[in-house]
Amino acid sequence: MEKLGAQFPLISISMLIPTLGSFFVVLLPERFTKGISLISTGITFLISLYSLTLFDFSKGDVVQFYEHYPIIPELGISLSLGLDGLSMLMYLLTTLVSLVAVLWSVRDKQINHRIKEYFLWFLLTESFLIGVFASWDLIVFYVFYELTLVPMLFVIGIWGYKLRLYSAYKFFIYIFISSLFLLLGTVSLAVQHYKLFGRFSFSYFDLMNNDYPLGLGIFLFMLFFIAFAVKTPIVPFHTWLPDAHGEAPTAGSIVLAAILLKMGTYALFRFNIGLFPKVVAFLMPILVLWGIFSIMMASWFTISQKNLKRFVAYSSISHMGFVVTSMFLLNLEGFRASIMEMFAHGLTSASLFMIAGFIYNRLHSFNMDALKGSAKFMPLFAIITVITAYSSMGLPGGSSFWGKFLTVLSAREYTTQLALLVIAGAFFSVIYMLYLMKVLFLDTKEESRLVHFADIRGFKLSAFLLLVIPMFMVGLLPSLFFNIFDMSVKKLLLYVMHKLIGG
Amino acid sequence: MELRDLIGSIEFPKMALIIPELIVLLTGFLIFTLDLIFKRANYRLYTWISVVGYFMAMLYIAFNPSLSGSTFYGLYVRDYFSSFLQFFMILLTIFVLAFTYHYYKQKLSLYREFYYILSFALVSAMFLASSYNLITLYVALEGVSISFYILTALLRGDFNAKEGAFKYLILGGLSIALASYGAVFMYIYAGSLDLQKILTYSGQNKDLLILGLVFFLIGFAIKIGAVPFHFWLPDAYQGAPTPITAYMASVGKLAFFAPVVRIMPLVQEHFAYAWVITVGIISAMTMLYGNLVALVQKDVKRLLAYSSIAHSGYILAGIAVAKAIGLKAVLYFLVAYALMGAGSFLLLALLERNPQWENRMEEFSGLRFSMPWIAVSFMIFMFSLLGVPPSVGFVGKALVFTALSFDRLWWLAFVMILSTGISTGYYVRLVVLTFMKESSKSIKVESSLAEKVVIFVLTLSVVILGAVPIIIWSFASQSADILFKR
Repeated sequence: MEKLGAQFPLISISMLIPTLGSFFVVLLPERFTKGISLISTGITFLISLYSLTLFDFSKGDVVQFYEHYPIIPELGISLSLGLDGLSMLMYLLTTLVSLVAVLWSVRDKQINHRIKEYFLWFLLTESFLIGVFASWDLIVFYVFYELTLVPMLFVIGIWGYKLRLYSAYKFFIYIFISSLFLLLGTVSLAVQHYKLFGRFSFSYFDLMNNDYPLGLGIFLFMLFFIAFAVKTPIVPFHTWLPDAHGEAPTAGSIVLAAILLKMGTYALFRFNIGLFPKVVAFLMPILVLWGIFSIMMASWFTISQKNLKRFVAYSSISHMGFVVTSMFLLNLEGFRASIMEMFAHGLTSASLFMIAGFIYNRLHSFNMDALKGSAKFMPLFAIITVITAYSSMGLPGGSSFWGKFLTVLSAREYTTQLALLVIAGAFFSVIYMLYLMKVLFLDTKEESRLVHFADIRGFKLSAFLLLVIPMFMVGLLPSLFFNIFDMSVKKLLLYVMHKLIGG
Repeated sequence: MELRDLIGSIEFPKMALIIPELIVLLTGFLIFTLDLIFKRANYRLYTWISVVGYFMAMLYIAFNPSLSGSTFYGLYVRDYFSSFLQFFMILLTIFVLAFTYHYYKQKLSLYREFYYILSFALVSAMFLASSYNLITLYVALEGVSISFYILTALLRGDFNAKEGAFKYLILGGLSIALASYGAVFMYIYAGSLDLQKILTYSGQNKDLLILGLVFFLIGFAIKIGAVPFHFWLPDAYQGAPTPITAYMASVGKLAFFAPVVRIMPLVQEHFAYAWVITVGIISAMTMLYGNLVALVQKDVKRLLAYSSIAHSGYILAGIAVAKAIGLKAVLYFLVAYALMGAGSFLLLALLERNPQWENRMEEFSGLRFSMPWIAVSFMIFMFSLLGVPPSVGFVGKALVFTALSFDRLWWLAFVMILSTGISTGYYVRLVVLTFMKESSKSIKVESSLAEKVVIFVLTLSVVILGAVPIIIWSFASQSADILFKR
């Protein structure tokens, strides 16, 4: 893969700014905390937009803004940062959602103690997440991937709801153990590179040249797959997610659902497909069916939830099922669908968690029965909820539409039956969203519990707008986003096909 | 033959090679003499003499890193590897010294023997790291062990200390007996006391070599705390004064692993497979047992002792891969564990200065509010022991995984994943207790400047040396390459 060096270390700067902000948060008194956090996440977001203007779309497959700092030359470990089309999109999503999360937390009633620590963790998370999406060295990727665990452990454990300690443990233990497999897989790739080429290397570009016998390939693929399947999550490995997402404070859930899950799918895309093309082609039928199974099961789980946050959490799993399914269909439409769905789900799930958090602030409950008709008194909030829900279920014009539509198209390239299966999965997701809307709007509220609800405004409204506007953009002007990553996806597909035919 | 000729034929030992050991030894003797002369002990003076002496020795090593050669007719070898280990041994001893005075004073057992016994322990440990000769190894092993028995028992009024020291004495004596028994077999096999000659000697009776090596290594396995020879370790670590526990977990680990690491490059074709299987199985048992038992501990000091056993297991996993990459991983991990182990036990030593503190797990709740910076540094040590990047513990584990993958020892890698997974339970529990539980009882300790500096340096080094691993790596890599070239 080609690399285009950075004239100006834009990515390291966008990683350093939140870290720097976190230093100031620690050093300065508490009344400056929120301001500093807002400013540093805001600046980072602006930098990401600025880097978008510098991004050469005609070379979307080239790694741009490439920076390279050796860490251990003898082992081929280096801090190499850069963005191709795919990571560019994830980078934008990260900075946007981090800004939204901080904006939301500024006025969140749940966050009433240990404020400095809270914002410290969020700022650090942003740095680490940028590192995850921008690093082209597998060990450095692993380091950032693991580091995101620590802030989330604290965010869930300190500011979460009732079961917070249990959920924090569960979250940490699940992801930590599964990512140890990733560590073993990563170093095994480097060792394999040593055995083939005589030197260690953890660089993605070098590791793409590795070749494995099918047996070893499947073994290494599985080491990677276990880690990312737990992170994504795919259904039998999903049990940590409802707890972690359900018990985290609103902003924690936003970051968890909108970005941390994307780490799993991004890595599946980047590493499992990019590094093991032959194995993926070999295992494709299983993986696709697994993804569809995941969609269906998660949709059923979702329908049976009584707790609004767990409801949203389970709906995330079903969306991730779409991402996984379309990714492993291994054609252009599938890849495009998968990435579009990642981005779209980042927006809708963040918005849904904010809706849940907003309702909790007003009603002090996540119980669906208590929520009956609650949107009646908040017209603005109701509009946003409707937009989000329609976007999430994949109505044309909504952001998830392209993901689901293209998945169906790409499945159709194999057989019609497969496409029908995908459509059935999509159908379930419509059911649960409609069910949510019915509870929120159509069911009448009991007279005795009639309270006056203040509508959404101020910081929280702006947080919502930051998500709703891109949602519309994805829905109505998808070509804007396809342009960013199409080149890199085509390159990857070409590479996979080349590997399959060439040997 | 004239006397003059006789003297002329004797090569005068190259003293330049053992100057650090001499400095440390003289420091010990100086304190010993001062202790004889003065009726009233001046602890501050003794501490300063020790620190200055050790510091000089450390500087000597630091400024002559490439000093190498053998002296005393091959009894003593200085090479990159021994300089590397000795540097960290001395550094960690200085760190431990910073904690001793206030600790012993609070426990009402301030004895002046402590200071010179510490230097004798250190000098023996340094010799252990730099010899191939069975006799030197035996003497150095005895020196370290005897000093450790005494240091463990130095809380004279405490029952646990006595019990721990007694257990250590008995099992330690057994280990030395086994090691010397093994040495005898090896001598019979090759007719030499030099390990290099013994292991590269191609004699007829290979069984003698294997038998000898097994006994010899069992002796060291007891010292290391490898399962099933670990029974003394939790009791001794728990009973010992906590700074001494830190000393045993850091300097002791470095010293006892050194001869085993020296054997690694000498593993020959004909017993390479047996080496991998034996060391691998012991390593797997050690990690699993250490972590499983640590999971149910209520006493944090004992928990960390079991975690020390588990870490011996991880290091042994690297030793099972008798290749250069394995040796590099082992060296990195050894130093990493020495830093983490010293740091975590020294933190406990600091906390124990509060008379209400009993090392129970629940006492950590609320530490975040009473002593925030101590809590942060405790968290960093816990995450490092667990292997969360970017800490030395993580780099060590990643390197061991690399070595295991190099030899395709997948089963051992999976055991390591499993045991690290088990260890998540207790390390994260400690972090959760420290930061997420609130408690009405608040425990405060006034720490001296030296203690603050040491904790700060150790915490920082755990992070920095993990984030910039090249610092230790380059030394580890170089010493491993030299050992393998020999």
